[in-house]
This record gives sequence, structure tokens and C-alpha cells, in this order.
Amino acid sequence: MEINNLAIDLEEIEKRYENPLDFFRGKKLCLFKACLEKYFPGVRFGIQDFLEELGMEVIICQNQSCCSGTFFQRNLITRAQFAAINERNINEINHQADILLVSCNGCYNSLLRGRDFLKDNTVRKKTQDILNDVKEKMGGEKYLGQYDILENPKLRIIHDLDFFYLIRDELVNTLKFGLKGIKIAVHYGCHYLNLDRDKDINTYLKDKTKLEELIRLFGGVPIDYQERESCCGWGASQIVIHPDDALKVTYKKLKSAENVNACFILMPCPTCLYTLSKPEFRERMHKIFNDEVEIPTIHLNELIAILRGCEEERCITLRRKSPRFNQIYATITQE
Amino acid sequence: MEDKAESDEDWNYQFLEELVEDVEENQNIRQCIECGKCIGECPASKISDFNIRRIIRKVLRGDKSVLKDSDIWYCFLCERCKRVCPKKGVNIPLLILNLRNESFKKGYGPRYNDLTKYVEMAEKFLTNGTVLEDPLDGSLSPERIEELNEICNFARIKYVFKASEASKAHKKKNLNKKRVKK
Repeated sequence: MEINNLAIDLEEIEKRYENPLDFFRGKKLCLFKACLEKYFPGVRFGIQDFLEELGMEVIICQNQSCCSGTFFQRNLITRAQFAAINERNINEINHQADILLVSCNGCYNSLLRGRDFLKDNTVRKKTQDILNDVKEKMGGEKYLGQYDILENPKLRIIHDLDFFYLIRDELVNTLKFGLKGIKIAVHYGCHYLNLDRDKDINTYLKDKTKLEELIRLFGGVPIDYQERESCCGWGASQIVIHPDDALKVTYKKLKSAENVNACFILMPCPTCLYTLSKPEFRERMHKIFNDEVEIPTIHLNELIAILRGCEEERCITLRRKSPRFNQIYATITQE
Repeated sequence: MEDKAESDEDWNYQFLEELVEDVEENQNIRQCIECGKCIGECPASKISDFNIRRIIRKVLRGDKSVLKDSDIWYCFLCERCKRVCPKKGVNIPLLILNLRNESFKKGYGPRYNDLTKYVEMAEKFLTNGTVLEDPLDGSLSPERIEELNEICNFARIKYVFKASEASKAHKKKNLNKKRVKK
């Protein structure tokens, strides 16, 4: 059985399509539900509104569960159980859509990692055994192959950052506002920066610059800083288990971007966003380091929503509002 | 062990083979040249005693005391080490997960009390299908939740969940007793 990699071949699309958006036209697009979307609804609406405005068919798979990476990373589920949860999700989505867009580095990593594990015969057998038990428990399948490991599904997976970068020329034409020379620091997040599951070795080791290129395209100025490639501090829930230690990593990152006078930090992952922006974490850092960190943070999908003229309430969650963020919003959206 | 002069006899791959039995890519871990690039870029090493090179040395010498080291629970699983490692096919984050698994099996892993921070997340996952917040489009249907519970049978996540249920029931019982006394 051949277990194929479901990541979209970006280079192939760029080679074959003069306008890469044409590859996606006529296909059903599914948005993977990240657990933190409720906390940051702009991460979902930022891309959903954009795609719908382009006339694309967008669906949300109601049967999809969380990717379960959090539990796998703390050994609370086995590799086979993790792969089974992942395969269940992929199977449901494959049944309804052609392309899966993912807004979270953690989910993206899980979706590819779950398939990777199936390349091992022992894990694949255990996974299929688990799915067979589910099938028996549920009294059979609702559609053919519902509980089977998929050998060659039609579904292809793409990270939102890669998608926006791929169709950047089309994207920039839909923007109502520009970044007006604002200095912006970028944070890619470990599971985008260090991931090799979706790339060949050359792309994997090459510097990642897509966020910087998008910032320039939007009229902003990407600004380098010492901790550009460092972790946000989430560290597979280390911030939950060892908060005071993990927050040292978070603090260093935020301070490093603040020290080069970045106006805000832009990232493509809601888990990193949660870590770098949660008010409770900021307060705790204030107590630990006796220093206030004020730099705002924003997800790429939220920024695109602002630049497209989305209402503030829809693109930025109220829980994260700060006077400095309001200033940025005002600066960008000022006619 | 680390202070002794090295000889061929110091190497013992039996433990490694047990650990990576079904992880093809980590068969290459014995090619570790101890260059230390992984430590230099490791976020966990900056804030704790987590030291990948030391962990690999222990594994390659069959020193199972590594399973008792609290260090292995500090890994961020950020995969940076995998990216900077000059050797192909060395997957340190996966090795750490395997070590943690063995540690759990031998009873050295975090006790229930250390996992209490996962109780809420485990509960949400096994009742809603999410981890932190209720999904934007509502929870999974009870039927779908049943599928997840079946997949997670005998997993530690279930024990964490059940332990939390037992703890809740115990607290409720005590509260009722106090009320009766009053």
C-alpha cells in the first residue's frame, strides 16, 4: 500500500499555471477548523470571506475533530490512535472537498505527520485495526471506505500562508488598504519553519521569506530581529506545564521584536498568536521580568481581513484589543 | 559514564533498537557525531537542563536511567534539531516521544497530578471534539464523539479523563457530607 504525501506541490502549480488561482477554481475548498478559531474568529473569516468574494466554493466539515496533536505530543495517545484520528478527519474531508486549507501550523503538521506514520507497516496495521473497531462499534459505514486508510485520496492540503503567497498577485488586487510603510516583524512558527514533511530538502533548508515578501507587496517594511526564528514559547504545551520557564522564550521573542521598533509581529499560526498575545501571559511576564511587553501580534488572515476593509469586530477579536492595536487599525484603514 | 574513556564496549544498541523498532528513520540515530548543533538551537536547552546530546549518548550506551530523567519532558518538539542536524534521517523529536512512552510504561512518567493541566483539554476533546474552545460551528454530534472515544480506548487520555471524573465525584461527595453535617 502506498501512502502518499497530501501536501500540494507548490512549485508544480507555479510552473503549470500563469495564474495559480486557476488551479483552485472549480474545486471544492474546505477550511480546517483550528481549535483556536473561536478565540480568534478573524483567522477563519479572514480567509473564508476572501474566498467567497472570489466566488470559490467553500465548505466547513462538520464531522471534523481537533487534530489531536496536543495529546500526541504529551504521549496521551499512541501513534496509531493519532493516525486514526487524523485518517478519520482526512476521510471525512476527502468525501466532501478537493482541497483542504489549514490556518494553524500545529494542525498542518498533524495532518501530514499522521499520514507519515502510516508509511510504517506496524503502525498502519494498528491504525486500520482501530478503525475497524470503530466501524464495528458504529454498526458499519455510511459511505464506502469511511473507516479505511486512504491509499490515494484526491484531497490535497495547503497551509494558508502558502495559499496566499501562491495567489499573491490576485490577492493584492482585492486589497482596499496598504501597509503604508509600517515596520513589521515576522514569526513563522516552528512547525512551519522546521517542517520537512511538505517540502524537498532544498526548500526545507532554504530561508523562509514568504511573509516578508507579502509584507513588501502590501506596502509594509519587513524588519529583521534577533529572535526571528525562535519558538513562541508554546513548545508542545510547555507553557501549560512549565509556564514560568516557557515564558522566558516568549518574553525574549517579543522583546527582541520590540527592540527593533517593529509596529507588530505578523504570523501564520493561531497557536503562536495565542502564546504571544494572551493577556494572562503578558501579565505574568510583567510580574516575572518586571517589564511590560506591549508589542501587538496578528495572524496573516486577520491582517488580510483588515487590508480588505473588513469590519474591525469581524477581523480582530475583542479579547485582544489594546490601545496600540487600535492605533494600527486606525493607521491602516485611514483613507 | 560520560567521564570514562570510550571504547567499543561502551556502545550498546539494544536499548536503541527497542526504542526505534518501528521507526525506520531513527535507525540512523547511531550516526550522531555529537556536533552539538541541536543544542545550540534548542529552545528547551536555553531554559532547562534538557540536553539532546547527553540524551543520545545515554541511549547509544544502553543507559536506561535516561527514562527517569525529568529532562525528557522539557522538549518543545519544535523540530529545530531535526532541521539543523547534519545527518540525514535523525528524528530527535520522535526519539523523545518514544523515550517518554517508555518512561510512562515503566511508571517514571508524570503522575496524574502532573497531568491535571490536561484534564480540561482531554474532557473537551472526548465530549466536544476540540481542545480549547467550543468550535465556531458547534460541537461534533454525539455519534461522532463516540467514534473519537472508541479510537482513544485504553489511551492515557482516557485515564486522565476518568481520573478527573472520579476526582469530581469525590469532591461532590465530600461537599454533600459537609452539607449534611451542617
